[in-house]
Amino acid sequence: MVKTANDEMQAVVFQLNEQTYGIDINSVLEIIRMEEITEIPRTPDFIEGVINLRGSVVAVLDLRKRFGLPAREITAHSRIIIVQVGDITFGMIVDAVQEVLRIAKDIIEPAPAMVNGVDAAYIHGIALQAERLIILLNQSRILYQHETDQLANLNVS
Amino acid sequence: MFSDIEIGVFIDELEEKLQVIDENLLILEREPANQKVLQEIFRAAHTIKGSAGIMGYEKMASLTHEIESLFDKIRENEVQVDSEMINVLFDALDALNTLKGEVTGEKVDINIDEVLANLKAYLGAASSAPTSPPLTPPAAPPAASDPAQHQWQPLDDVLETVIREAEVKGFVAYQILVQLDAGTQMKSVRAFLIFETLEQMGEIIRSSPAAEELQEGNFDLSFELIILSKEDADQVHNTLMTIAEVSDVQVQLVTTLQSAPEQAETAATTASPAKASDSGPPPVKTVKTVRVDVQKLDNLMNLVGELVIDRTRLNRFAEIFESKYGSDDLAESINEISNHLGQVTGDLQEEIMKARMLPIAQIFNRFPRMVRDTAQKMGKEIDFIVEGKETELDRNVIEVIGDPLIHLIRNSIDHGIESPADREKQGKPRAGKLLLKASYHESHIVITIADDGKGIDPNIIRQKAVDNGLYDYDTAARLSEREVLDLIFAAGFSTAKEVSDLSGRGVGMDVVRTAIEQINGMVEMESKVGQGTTITIRLPLTLAIIRSLMVTLGDQVYALPLANVQETLRIDADEIRQIGTSEAIVVRERILPLLRLSEHFGMGSSQADKLFVVIVASVEKRVAVVVDNLLGEQEIVIKSLGEYLGDIPVLSGATILGDGRVALIIDSRGITQEAGIIDEG
Repeated sequence: MVKTANDEMQAVVFQLNEQTYGIDINSVLEIIRMEEITEIPRTPDFIEGVINLRGSVVAVLDLRKRFGLPAREITAHSRIIIVQVGDITFGMIVDAVQEVLRIAKDIIEPAPAMVNGVDAAYIHGIALQAERLIILLNQSRILYQHETDQLANLNVS
Repeated sequence: MFSDIEIGVFIDELEEKLQVIDENLLILEREPANQKVLQEIFRAAHTIKGSAGIMGYEKMASLTHEIESLFDKIRENEVQVDSEMINVLFDALDALNTLKGEVTGEKVDINIDEVLANLKAYLGAASSAPTSPPLTPPAAPPAASDPAQHQWQPLDDVLETVIREAEVKGFVAYQILVQLDAGTQMKSVRAFLIFETLEQMGEIIRSSPAAEELQEGNFDLSFELIILSKEDADQVHNTLMTIAEVSDVQVQLVTTLQSAPEQAETAATTASPAKASDSGPPPVKTVKTVRVDVQKLDNLMNLVGELVIDRTRLNRFAEIFESKYGSDDLAESINEISNHLGQVTGDLQEEIMKARMLPIAQIFNRFPRMVRDTAQKMGKEIDFIVEGKETELDRNVIEVIGDPLIHLIRNSIDHGIESPADREKQGKPRAGKLLLKASYHESHIVITIADDGKGIDPNIIRQKAVDNGLYDYDTAARLSEREVLDLIFAAGFSTAKEVSDLSGRGVGMDVVRTAIEQINGMVEMESKVGQGTTITIRLPLTLAIIRSLMVTLGDQVYALPLANVQETLRIDADEIRQIGTSEAIVVRERILPLLRLSEHFGMGSSQADKLFVVIVASVEKRVAVVVDNLLGEQEIVIKSLGEYLGDIPVLSGATILGDGRVALIIDSRGITQEAGIIDEG
């Protein structure tokens, strides 16, 4: 069977907490090395701060903290994936970026409620390809879920 | 259908002409016999009638037709102007403003029959002159339709001198009358093409109407030009006739010698030295303008912002270079380049800023009418003076400042100025004086609203503050007059005894202050009982670049807008007083709440013996902010933190430093307010 472009997606595949994740390449603007991040007071913990991306100020979040995974030191492999969702551009710190993969859409399965400690709300689906389990992220949820989180926090306090 | 551009041109023209009518009606009310004013209104109404007719806006065309007819009668002295008529005319103007919505695509539901009937009533009063049906497309003005009898605009002295000087250099002056086809739709484009063509043959030294008017399409179908050229008249004529939609061209030689032979002689002698210098077109130039999309200017401004950042970087680099290699030639060159770049960027920044500026007349022009209506409604007489209309400021600032000004002016009329009877009792003139003035002051624009009304009695405000539970009696009594006046800007504070239709609902002054502070402005009030109130608004010239005091907290750099920094101090840790749970310091006998910014931002605390303190003032409050270190002043380009982070109360944005790092800009208002919260808690 011939695969057409509509039958598959391209994903930027990266490593986070010993797991393999993927994000739709269409929302990825670029991948950069770690650089100096300016902390911003009064923001949720997972927001690392802002960076200077060629003259624009771009917010960067730590995906480990976002998903409630254990923190880890930044290494030489750490990268910031710059993602655009709608009008919003932001960066997310991941442990390492591996490759760009073509994934047939028909092998993408819906996510169970919890995947390796990550809430299914952030997950678009799971693909098993070449013996590898790839967790595909829902990029807009990464962004917007935090607002609901914040609201929840406000109600508590 | 008409294209967006044509509709845009029409709307621009419409707005301009409505403004002309508005201004002149106000003058007419005072000077009913002013011929110039009558003429202006007549012409503006005529122009709108014409364009509206062509574009198919029937209501607008018929309304302006009636206005035109009425002014025709007034000019002929068949009808007298009275205040009732002015009211009717203002009603008609309002209707026209509403009808403007038809053009912009809004749904307009307005019945103009009553206004039309009112206008016609005046026409009926005069002898029954024949009225042409309202919807005929405008006839070209008589002068233009019969070119043979064209009355050329007379030359003034300046122009004659210019022509005589040019004649000495071998130029010939022509008067040119260009007549466009009746169906010409993009008049401004035609005018532009004609200008382009003529400028290849010589120099245009006068245009009537003015060049800007022509480029905006504000003319009937013909216009007059005077050019200096070395071509002969036929050549000029034939070249112009090749332009599409030009129906007729008349070229006539201008001779200055006949009109004033003696003068010509003296002029020729005085002009003779010019002969020796390189000949070229004479120095008088018509003003040339182009329309530019605001977006493009914004982009330019952003690019300049980038340059400013690079300039700062290069500066640092030059410093490092110098300290490393001393007075080496290369180091000096780099320094020189850096300085020059700095100068050029500065100039560029200023020029682009100027290009983004609009005269404040844009909003000031709305006020005379508003003042008139408000005064009429309140039964007051107002002598409204507007000064400094030509003062220019950033268009973003203009957009924000309109509503606060409306509010302040209404307040002055409503609460400030007394009724004519009261004023007479106090020996003041019946009409209250209300001054609206804009002027430059250093790098700021200062807008003043001053009235000679009853002023504000601080004791009434003190009482009100006590009544509202803001202060107890003793505290209120101790407040200085300035602090008392500041209270007016607090939320929910209104001193009007009765709630009126126009103001006094207890909202307003705090909204005014918030709007002004949002654009880094400040508002202050001074008042003397019985003598009047003056409100002063200080606004930055631009919103994009501000001067800031750079400070550090830990290893991060923060910027504090200099407009809100009153002073910096170095204090000993033991100067800090403990008041309840919060800290304060005493500066010149005033107690200021102390805010340790590092702790406040959750970045840990320092135990240094000596502390750097920045006194930050927002109009409402002052607070002493403790920072780790002071770096100095710098010009910074404000960048948004982006939609994702949204509004963070203590920050107003970010900027990029010379070394490429991001520094956050502290929102002075947010900081002072939070210090206030701590006070109370």
